[in-house]
Amino acid sequence: MSKNYYEFTYIVNPVLEDEQTKAAVDQVTKLFTDNGAEIEEVNEWGLRKFAYEIDKKNSGYYVNMYLEAPADAIPVVERFLRIEDSYMRYLTLKFDAKMMRHRELVKKNAVPNVFEVAEEETEG
Amino acid sequence: MIKNPSHPKKSVRKVKQCKFTQAGLEYIDYKDVDTLQRFTNDQGKILPRRVTGTSAKHQRQLTRAIKRARFLALMPYVAENLR
Repeated sequence: MSKNYYEFTYIVNPVLEDEQTKAAVDQVTKLFTDNGAEIEEVNEWGLRKFAYEIDKKNSGYYVNMYLEAPADAIPVVERFLRIEDSYMRYLTLKFDAKMMRHRELVKKNAVPNVFEVAEEETEG
Repeated sequence: MIKNPSHPKKSVRKVKQCKFTQAGLEYIDYKDVDTLQRFTNDQGKILPRRVTGTSAKHQRQLTRAIKRARFLALMPYVAENLR
């Protein structure tokens, strides 16, 4: 079965204890692998303040991951995250050729800085 | 007088260029909040192309990136002090 490259970001509920958070993160990772996905990278950004309030909470535990998965695995995981109360939001992005090229740059740490080229501000 | 290029009424318009094209960026990442923030005003609104000089192609990507960042609460929909 063909696999696609995905980026998956989700927010774990901040009311959970440290151990519970860890379990919640592991559960998602396990669910992906059980459905035939290969996890490439998991970045836990940790507790981060929200730009606006979500469900009366001001911060959340962000987890960002890159993985290669068959298309069938995604709805399974998304459904699980919607049902469970310990997850607040998720965002799945399927990578196209352009994004893959960008990803290669990120891996090589060679992303061009947008504001390095022209630091001069254009007046509004 | 009107032919004089240094006349104050004939101010030379500054040519704006797309920052993303200059940098040669192909994909605008929603996680790069610092960059995205510079394309919004203090209310959190996305600045129009005519202000920032972004190319149409990149403006479309930019709006998408900003909206993704907003969904994940990395960026505000409306600034804190206005709510």
